[in-house]
This record gives sequence, C-alpha cells and structure tokens, in this order.
Amino acid sequence: MLRDITLGQYYPVDSPIHRLDPRTKIVLTIVYIVAVFFGKGLLGYLPTLLFLLLIIKLSGVPFTMMLKSLRPLRILLIFTFVLNLFFISSGEVLFRWRFIQITKDGLSHALRFSLRLIFLVLGTSLMTLTTPPVALTDGLESLCSPLKKIGFPAHEMAMMMTIALRFIPTLIEEADKIMKAQSARGADFSSGSVTSRARAMIPLLVPLFISAFRRAGDLAFAMEARCYRGGEGRTRLHILKFRKGDAVAFVITGLLIPVTIFAGRLL
Amino acid sequence: MALELQNVSHTYQPNTPFSAVALDNISLSIEDRDLLALIGHTGSGKSTLAQHLNGLMKPTSGRVLFNGKDINEDASRLRELRFQVGLVFQYPEYQLFEETVEKDIAFGPRNMGLSDEEIKSRVLGAMDLVGLNPEEIGQKSPFELSGGQMRRVALAGVLAMRPKVLVLDEPTAGLDPRARSFLLSDIKRLHREGTTVVMISHSMDDVAALATRIAVMDHGSLAMTGTPAEIFAQPQRLIQMGLNVPQVSLLAGRLIAAGLPVKPCFRMEEMADQLAELLKGGDGDVA
Ligand SMILES: Nc1ncnc2c1ncn2[C@@H]1O[C@H](COP(=O)(O)OP(=O)(O)OP(=O)(O)O)[C@@H](O)[C@H]1O
Ligand SMILES: [Mg+2]
Repeated sequence: MLRDITLGQYYPVDSPIHRLDPRTKIVLTIVYIVAVFFGKGLLGYLPTLLFLLLIIKLSGVPFTMMLKSLRPLRILLIFTFVLNLFFISSGEVLFRWRFIQITKDGLSHALRFSLRLIFLVLGTSLMTLTTPPVALTDGLESLCSPLKKIGFPAHEMAMMMTIALRFIPTLIEEADKIMKAQSARGADFSSGSVTSRARAMIPLLVPLFISAFRRAGDLAFAMEARCYRGGEGRTRLHILKFRKGDAVAFVITGLLIPVTIFAGRLL
Repeated sequence: MALELQNVSHTYQPNTPFSAVALDNISLSIEDRDLLALIGHTGSGKSTLAQHLNGLMKPTSGRVLFNGKDINEDASRLRELRFQVGLVFQYPEYQLFEETVEKDIAFGPRNMGLSDEEIKSRVLGAMDLVGLNPEEIGQKSPFELSGGQMRRVALAGVLAMRPKVLVLDEPTAGLDPRARSFLLSDIKRLHREGTTVVMISHSMDDVAALATRIAVMDHGSLAMTGTPAEIFAQPQRLIQMGLNVPQVSLLAGRLIAAGLPVKPCFRMEEMADQLAELLKGGDGDVA
C-alpha cells in the first residue's frame, strides 16, 4: 500500500542521461527551470516541450513512470487550471453562462500555468529518476563546497540529506510492516470519522517513532565505530568527473533559454 | 479443513523493474489441529505465504479458503477473519505501543468490540498462557521489559483474540535458550488445547520437536510436504535446498553408518530410548 509512493525514486537503467555527472544535472535542472519561466505564450513552451521529450526519450524512463510523478499534483493542477480559467475576467469573452464566463486571457493563463507546473515537475522528477540519491547529494556537496569558506556546513548538510534519503524507503517499509501487524489485531486505518482515524494512527506512529530513534542511535554508533569524524580530510570512493557528454548537455540546455525567449517573441 | 491455498501466486511490485515472484503456484491445505511447520531458505517466500493466510496480502492469482470460503471475496469480512486467524509477525515486539502491558494485550479484543469484563478476562488468560505474571508486569510499560518478555506480550496480544488458527513467523528468532524453550512449550500447549498452528522456523530441532506436518518452500514454490518422518528421511534434498535435518537425525545417520542397530529417527526422546535399550543390552524399559 504505502510502497507505491514514487517520491524521488531512482529508475535503474543505463542511459546517456544516467551517465551525466550529477553536478551537470543539478545545474542544468536549474537552467531548465529558468527556461520554463522565460516561456511566453504557448509557442514559447514549444522548445521546452521538445527538449523535455528528447530528454525523456534519451533517459530510457518509461513515459508511464513519468506520468506517475504527476499524480500527487493532480489536485493542485486542477485548482490552478480552474481558478485561472474562471476568475480572470479581462480580455475577449469566449463563453458565458449565467455568472460563469471564460475569457481568452483566462484560458491562456490557465493553460500556461498548468503547463508550467507540469514542466517543472516532469523536469525535476527526471533528475531524481536518473540520478541515484547518493550521487545527487555528492553533487550538491561538491557544488556547495565553495561556500564552506563562509562557514556553510556543506558536508554536514549533504550527509544529512544522504541519510534522510537512504532511510525514506526503510521507514516506509517499517510503517507498512507495523500497519500490517496492527491490522492483524483488527486495527482499522481506513474507515471511520476523522478523529477515530487520527486515533487509529497511534498504534502505527508510536512504534514507528521508537524504531526511528533506535535506528538513528544505532547508525550514529555504527558511523563512529568506523571513525566518522565529519568531512574534514575525507577522501571519496567515487570521484566526480566531467566528461564529454556533460559538455554536450551544457551546450544543448544552455541554448534552451535563448531559443525559448526567441520563440516567445515570435507570437 | 481450516485453511486451504489453491494455486496461489504472488508477485511483488508487478510491472516494474523491481518485480519479484515470491510465491509460485502454491497449493497447500492446513487441516484442523495440525501443527504445520513451514521451512525454507532465506527469501523462499515463507513470510509472504504467512501474510496470505489472514488476508494481509492478496494473491496475484489463486485463492485462499478458510472453512471452504474464499477470504478475499468480501473485503468487509477480512477484519473478522483476522480475529480467527491470528498472525504473529517476525520480531513482533516492535509493534507494541500502549502505556501498559495489559492495555497492549487488550488492543485486539477491544477491536473485536467485546465487553470490558470479557476483555479483562481474556487479557489475564492470555498472559497466563504465555507465562507472564499479571500482578508483576501487567501495569508496567512494555518498553521496560526484556526482549523475551516483550515477545511474549506480543504473542499474548494475538492469543487474547482466541484465534482458531495461529500463524507464527519465526517466533523464536533472537531469543536466549531459556526464553526459547518457554515459548516452544507455550506453542506446544496451545496446540494440545486445540489451536491449529502454522509455525515458520529455521530451527530443524524445533520443527522436529513440535511439528505434525512439514511444508518445505524453495524459491517461492512448495518443494515437499509430509510428516516429519517423511521429510527428514530425505536429507540430501533438504541440504540441496540450503536446509538441514535435525541434529538427532544426523546422529542416527552416523550411528547407522558405524554399524550400530539403530533406526532412523528425529526426536530426542526416540533416540534416547533406542540408545538406552542398546546400552542396556535389550532389556528394561527406559523413560
Ligand atoms: N516488499 C517486497 N518487495 C519486493 N520484494 C520482496 C518484498 N518482500 C519480500 N520480497 C522478496 O520476496 C521473496 C520472499 O520473501 P519472504 O520475506 O517471504 O521470504 P522468507 O522466506 O520469509 O525469508 P526469511 O527466512 O529471510 O524471513 C524474497 O526474495 C524477497 O526478496
Ligand atoms: Mg520471513
């Protein structure tokens, strides 16, 4: 039941996108986000759409898997669309029925904002789907390390993120197990009023917290037993290296912003 | 016939790169008053099978019958079924959550909607069954107890529902010898008093001591079923599947190989009787 969540899930196949340096993917995701925000008019989104389709094709991640990452957002998407559609009253009126009216501006706003949201989610999920979480935090640490000079704890932050990411599936699994164990004693998590459902969570949450604290303690001991003392002077097993593919990725994605701006002007 | 599996298969996370077949076309029937031991190497699908018995997991294909009725036919009856087929998970002590031991054991009966008096008597009865003293630890927090005591509290939590079938997933894992023999005698007693038991175990000695029937799993399929005598008579096959025979069977094998007139056996008492007879020169009755 709980296992179906695809939060930041890595899709393990080999592809040109998977092989890119995580730093490249992080920086280029930011570039991509900027490009999405530069898009003007529906034509302005065309380059982004083509770019996105190209990357999805290259990444080897099935399209259905991509669509799954949109599922948690469906309510927000519908809201964005409906609010913009009905509550923007400027521009030419396309349709009117009693107090409901749809204008040209409203329609184009609704489409643009929803598309923007979809593009943002798809682009960022593509990053997490093609990069193992540990590589992602390594990349972040490396990108943030210049900030160490002004006292920013880049290593500690990256370590905390790595641990948190590492334990999400474990905790989900644990929650699943405890839920089953309590269901075996007749616990009912899915029916009843809001308060009775909230109360039904106690048998799940208490053991889950206890086990999370126990795990945290165990992990701290295990790390100390292996002489972990923070990032100072630590060497790496996997050294990040830029390759030719990264240069190509930078050029292609770098072009996305000017092309988007240009396409927006054409309208 | 209490429980019956008909061609049950289960695939974890189907249609993803992570998909794994955990059960492959399993047909097995568990008769009333059986004490069925489920054995198999790590990852052979024993825990997955156990969770099918009370509807916590649904077969990808196939049916699970309880008293002749498909348990997954009517999802609203599943909760009721779980009161009759009690499942104790591996390391059940991690599911304790209440402030006191008594309240924790009462969780199941309370979910059944019983009266306060009935709940109280069931809690005391269950504590008695697993050898916990209500006066001594009934009001304690479950988190103050030792691992072995916590395990018995968790077991009592399921027993308090008075299930007709009790499914135990590696009940003795991680216990010291004393706690282990206590728990095994609890199980033996429950079985003697009429509960049908399914017990998953990695200890062939425990299985030899308790089981009336054995089912052997191998890579998700059911490799053998039979009485302990039938199963333990095939040490080669068991070893091939990453299992073993009880120490006593090994001993019998060695004695036979050394030319002593001993019959193959797997229970400690049987072996002791044979040896005593042999050493005394054939006369006398030894208990
Ligand atoms: N939640 C899950 N998702 C994917 N695969 C799983 C999951 N749970 C178990 N499996 C796989 O299913 C198979 C059977 O697992 P199961 O836990 O039933 O084995 P088991 O016989 O109980 O093993 P053990 O003796 O270690 O407890 C294993 O290969 C395991 O990797
Ligand atoms: Mg198991």
